[in-house]
Amino acid sequence: MSLVVQTLADGLVLGGIYALAAVGFSLIFGVLHVINLSHGILVLIGAYLALVTSQALGVDPLLTIPAVMAVLFGAGYAYQRLLIQRAVDRSPLGSMLLTFGVALMLQNIMIWVFSPDMKSITPSYAFASFSVAGITFDAVRVSALAASLVLLLCLALLLKFSPLGRVIRATAQQTLAAQLCGVNVKHVYALTFAVSAAFAGAAGIVIGVILPFSPADEALWTMNAFVVVVLGGVGSPAGALLGGLLLGIVNTLTAQYVGPSFPNVTMFLLLVLLLLVRPNGLLGNAFSASR
Amino acid sequence: MKRSPALVPLLIVAAALVLALGPFVLPPFYVRVGQLMVYSAGLAVAWAILGGFAGYASFGHAAFIGVGAFAAGLVENQFSALAPGLLLALGLAVGGGACAVLSAAVAYPILRLRGTFFSIAMLGVCHVCAEVNNNVDFFQGSMGINFPPLAPASMDPADFFFWLYLAAGTIVMLIAWLIWRSRFGAGLLSIREDEDTARMLGVPTERYKRLAFVISAVLTGLLGVIYAHALGYITTDSVYRDDTNLNLIVFSLLGGMGTLFGPVIGAFLLVFITQVILGRLLDFHLFATGLLLVLLVLGAPGGVLGVVRGWRVRRRAATAPAE
Repeated sequence: MSLVVQTLADGLVLGGIYALAAVGFSLIFGVLHVINLSHGILVLIGAYLALVTSQALGVDPLLTIPAVMAVLFGAGYAYQRLLIQRAVDRSPLGSMLLTFGVALMLQNIMIWVFSPDMKSITPSYAFASFSVAGITFDAVRVSALAASLVLLLCLALLLKFSPLGRVIRATAQQTLAAQLCGVNVKHVYALTFAVSAAFAGAAGIVIGVILPFSPADEALWTMNAFVVVVLGGVGSPAGALLGGLLLGIVNTLTAQYVGPSFPNVTMFLLLVLLLLVRPNGLLGNAFSASR
Repeated sequence: MKRSPALVPLLIVAAALVLALGPFVLPPFYVRVGQLMVYSAGLAVAWAILGGFAGYASFGHAAFIGVGAFAAGLVENQFSALAPGLLLALGLAVGGGACAVLSAAVAYPILRLRGTFFSIAMLGVCHVCAEVNNNVDFFQGSMGINFPPLAPASMDPADFFFWLYLAAGTIVMLIAWLIWRSRFGAGLLSIREDEDTARMLGVPTERYKRLAFVISAVLTGLLGVIYAHALGYITTDSVYRDDTNLNLIVFSLLGGMGTLFGPVIGAFLLVFITQVILGRLLDFHLFATGLLLVLLVLGAPGGVLGVVRGWRVRRRAATAPAE
């Protein structure tokens, strides 16, 4: 019994982090209708930046989050304005392949700079753990989960209450109508991209704290984001959270009860089945474009 | 410009015969590059029957290479006493059959998805096949399968497989041409242009899409069987390759998406660029492919053939007012 509860608890912790890693992907898809296959790379850039800065300055990796987010915000804005904007209005396959090309190039650059080996960020409290009612929690994982929940909440508030959030939501609902009301759509697209790049970077730091990472992982994080978004629905932090938690639980349950090499199988089966049965996601807004 | 209908297949066969002289004149390294070129061209055309003609760009066709290769290998090892020629025929039949069954089973649900969703779902199918193949002991994916040598003792295996690929590629090309000029092919093109309108006008879109999917999958599987024999020993990782999944799209994009000869041109060009020009710079391959992809999407979405067509149109526009 306690094994089941422990597995579920591990799944929830992992799921919170999946949610943070996917929320930017979801936002870009919801607003720009671009499938950003370089999302995983943005996540990894965050992880490597945190690795470098926390080693150089000797600070806790989670404290580098604001700085890394600022850097990726700028990079994301430029990336969208310079490259993606040129492909946004073409076929969806075109923009998808464009981001894939960028992902390949950046992955290659990462291999040159950081070597293809596994790296990990080890904070001072790496091996501490505590237990509540017989269930063990690692201090690292819990702090990572807390960080990702706080960030998700911030994003939700930003989208709901700030002027920027209102403009982003308006553009997502009706691009043309937003444009008629005086919204500079290109600017909003770029800001949306910048926000989601920043959150991808933050997710990278959180991931780097709990898991080892290497340049080849980018595809995994992109696919994870895709599955989370298909599960939860597009464009909202709540959908990403639901999808992330579900994916986390499914992954740990299969690893525990079917076999450690099977989470990928169940993840992709889940992806294919959900696309077929419920393309709107469980919370059911967008993705109607899949039919 | 009007062409007689027999010209295209004659051109294909003539080009294949010229290429068949390759091993007599080329040094061994270029025969190997040629092998890869012809194999890639065959795959690119098989992919394009669905991806180019009907506009359903699959991101998971390596699934059929893998399923074909493993099905053939598992059966061939039960009948290893047969003569090599019979064994290859058996392997091709089993591999093609397995791909036909798999693709027919997957086709109905997955072809309901459109655009990028179809692409990603196919990637999912490919990964599920690969993981199952790798983790279920019966399929021997992680341990690997040996294939009996096929080439006659008097012949260099590299030359032998070059000709085998060439024959297979020519057949795939002729099949693609037959489809291209048939009513079925016109139906596929109409699906690419506007599926809903095509359906409204009475094109049996569902049936056509499924048929194109199965044909494409079987041809890919047959090439996969030959590929497995050329390698001699395969594991899951050597046939279910994500770079194959990607390259199949890049071939068509580079040559000209949705054309008959575009995929062949794209495959020849890309293999030549990566193997010969960048052959020494292995660290650079990912970057070069990525850069090419970016430049193609931004600069020449119609590929090589699109650029050529653009020149022609512009030249005609330039000469027209003078008349």
